[in-house]
Amino acid sequence: MGESYQPILFVLLLAALIPAAFMLLSARLGPKRPLPAKLTPYESGIKPLSPPDQRLQVKFYLVAVLFLIFDVEAVFLFPWAVRFRELGMFGLVEMFVFLLILVIGLLYAWRKGALEWR
Amino acid sequence: MSQAVQHAWADLASLRQHLGAGFVAEETMGSLPVARVRREALRECLRFVKEDPAWRLHQLSDVTVLDAMQLRDNERFDVLYFLHNLVTNRRLVVRAAVPEEDPKVETAVPLWPAANWGEREAYDQYGIVFRGHPNLKRILNHREFVGHPLRRDYDIYKGQWLSEADDLTDELERRHRENPERLADLEEGETMLLNLGPSHPASHGTLRNLVELAGETVLFAIPEIGYLHRGFEKSAETHEYNQVIPYTDRLNYCSAISNNVGYAKAVEALCGISVPERCQYIRVILAELSRIMDHLVCNSANLVDLGALTNYWYLFNLREKIYNLIESVTGARLTNSYTRIGGLWSDLTEDFVPHCRALLKEVEPHVKDTLKLVARNRIFLDRTVGVGAISVDDAIAWGYTGPCLRAAGLEHDLRKNDPYYFYDRFNFDIPSGHQGDTYDRIMVRFEEIRQSVRIVEQALDQLPGGPVKADYPLSVMPDKTQTYGNIEGMVNHFKVVMHGITPPRGEVYDWTEAPNGELGFYIVSDGTMRPYKCKVRPPCFYVYSSFPKLAEGGMVADGIAILGSLNIVAGELDR
Amino acid sequence: MAVKDSRSSSGPQTAGSPGPSRLAHSGPSARVSLTPAGQETSTGLTDAVILTKLDEVVNWGRKNSLWPLPFGTACCAIEFMGVISSVFDLSRFGAELVRFSPRQADLMIVAGTVTYKQAPILKRIYDQMCDPKWVIAMGVCASSGGFYDNYCTLQGIDKIIPVDYYIAGCPPRPEAVLQAVVDLQGRMSSRKADL
Repeated sequence: MGESYQPILFVLLLAALIPAAFMLLSARLGPKRPLPAKLTPYESGIKPLSPPDQRLQVKFYLVAVLFLIFDVEAVFLFPWAVRFRELGMFGLVEMFVFLLILVIGLLYAWRKGALEWR
Repeated sequence: MSQAVQHAWADLASLRQHLGAGFVAEETMGSLPVARVRREALRECLRFVKEDPAWRLHQLSDVTVLDAMQLRDNERFDVLYFLHNLVTNRRLVVRAAVPEEDPKVETAVPLWPAANWGEREAYDQYGIVFRGHPNLKRILNHREFVGHPLRRDYDIYKGQWLSEADDLTDELERRHRENPERLADLEEGETMLLNLGPSHPASHGTLRNLVELAGETVLFAIPEIGYLHRGFEKSAETHEYNQVIPYTDRLNYCSAISNNVGYAKAVEALCGISVPERCQYIRVILAELSRIMDHLVCNSANLVDLGALTNYWYLFNLREKIYNLIESVTGARLTNSYTRIGGLWSDLTEDFVPHCRALLKEVEPHVKDTLKLVARNRIFLDRTVGVGAISVDDAIAWGYTGPCLRAAGLEHDLRKNDPYYFYDRFNFDIPSGHQGDTYDRIMVRFEEIRQSVRIVEQALDQLPGGPVKADYPLSVMPDKTQTYGNIEGMVNHFKVVMHGITPPRGEVYDWTEAPNGELGFYIVSDGTMRPYKCKVRPPCFYVYSSFPKLAEGGMVADGIAILGSLNIVAGELDR
Repeated sequence: MAVKDSRSSSGPQTAGSPGPSRLAHSGPSARVSLTPAGQETSTGLTDAVILTKLDEVVNWGRKNSLWPLPFGTACCAIEFMGVISSVFDLSRFGAELVRFSPRQADLMIVAGTVTYKQAPILKRIYDQMCDPKWVIAMGVCASSGGFYDNYCTLQGIDKIIPVDYYIAGCPPRPEAVLQAVVDLQGRMSSRKADL
């Protein structure tokens, strides 16, 4: 059972090392010339008028959270797809219950108007 | 005189009667009637010709000012309003003299919203103050500019640096006062001010919009232009008539030859030169190829803004093929300078006609490929149908011409309504839309590409032989074979180069149907070899002034889609 | 941020006085290997000769991934659009991703006329770019004002930012732009890497 996890660990290691290498190399090799002009926020060449810590409307957050939930749901469906035959009827029923719970949540969000951009 | 001009003369009598002492004189500008009025009566005159059933001049084509200090001794400025009825094709120019000591006139903005930016430009360039104008600020020159550069006594070399761009908060506050209901249920700090600034991939060059957002919805959009104001008009005043042609290339640089043709046509009207048939046909062929190129750029850039990048590659391949053809004839890909006053730079090459026919066969497959990806695509339809819609009446009042007006539903095309250069010999249709939204504008342009292909095919079939230069030795450069072949040709060449073309003193306003709409040139000649004034009537200037009306209320992404569909070319917008 | 021109602005500009590059921040000494063409200092020869392996690797990486920031204003921008499309394809040379954000780009290609109104924008965008950065002035308007010698046009972007490569043409052919990028890559590989 150990061998089947080795590729995953290897991928995780690469996923950790490569970005770390990029960040380290840029920090080490890149020129550092911080200037006040360089650190100003970018807004198409004009001085920005809105402060950066502006309050945002809550509907952005709502869309993000809904996406997160259903994205994670989609991720959960993948292992089931890989082991579909072995899990058989038990798996099917189990996953449909799982999906049903989330569909009820989706219907609730739909009825409450969270899917409308208003 | 033609029937239309007779009509116009008769009705000037009714205008004269209505204004009484306010009416000064009837004049002509080429074939256009001109009503010279006193400046106190100007507003009433404009109102009358807009509302009187005999006139119904529902569109203001252009507003400009003539600084006549070197032409006459009385009042220094003339304010000119160019008016047009798109249905009956009647035109009228209303002009009023304005003295230098008190350069004030009443604004025409309540009559036509198109007057807003036109009058701002007149103020910026000449210093005429329009009383009652809602936002009389500089539009083309920057806010720290001192003086009025198009006045004849402003030195062309006197540049003025700018330290910091305008933050536009004054305009924003004015809009807040005008429409307070939009901010009604929002708390302090809930809106966001964002610059879709002059350096932005979706702003098609140097267009700036300050938008106030509530979430994703645009509450207020304030456009600022002038970031590419390169002084075309002042440069035209310091160059000879033929030397202005390269400057015209760079107006609508996506379709340079159309501008060359428009300018040459206007100067030829001023001089009274008529070009040979072959020259007219060639101009039509190349102008239509330019129209195809312009629409290809506009649509592919617009689709890129919507996220459809593939069409950009497809359509630019087609553009390269057209470039190859045009380069073989004019010598340049993009900025051709192909026409000359009185003709063309040179005749077509021998293989032009077969090359062009082969090229025309390639247009349809490319356009069809693009439409296959896009026309029934659910995402495309959701993003463009109903977005930025405008009604025909609003479009006319805002000064729309060209594809944007046709998309709104009015089948108006100067090639059909007021044909020039044998356009009445060709069979072609005018595509039009239903509600003037982004979808209509994109589809109208695709369809116009197909119609242009039809026109070019017919023009190639009908292409006559003959010379391409008019026979006016004092105005038209002779062929090089003459210049190097005999003494008369050489002297003729010398005379035209050294002494230039000297049109008779006078004025003309002439127009062509450029890819963006009515491209007009108002040229004033004082009898010397340089234009006294050369004003361009830019089609996208008036279209862009209505951008707040189209974009406000929608979302930011819709605003980007609308901006792309209007085909705002900064070279023409800012000149 | 104020970049005022101290020359008197009445009367025609004298033709032969280019003036120094107007940098609002530290002068040329901070930019050892990026002096604009034509302004090489005499010490440029000695420090260009010895390149370590590290320099070579870093230069190789940087030159083959020059991400352009197309600061397109006018007609040259349309020609630049032709350069990045399939026939001329700038991405063959590594300049695949056009990035309109100065934080993500190395190479600013100023394509088109810059007016005095646009000049502060250009300066700010240039300042916001991260080092190392290069600038190509595409076309005669960006190089020297082109034939717009008048009251509103900046007579060359080198009045406000340092330029590494000038491309003549109005507009330049796409092949000229490709040559500029390749030449710039050549120059990058023969200098010490800016570490």
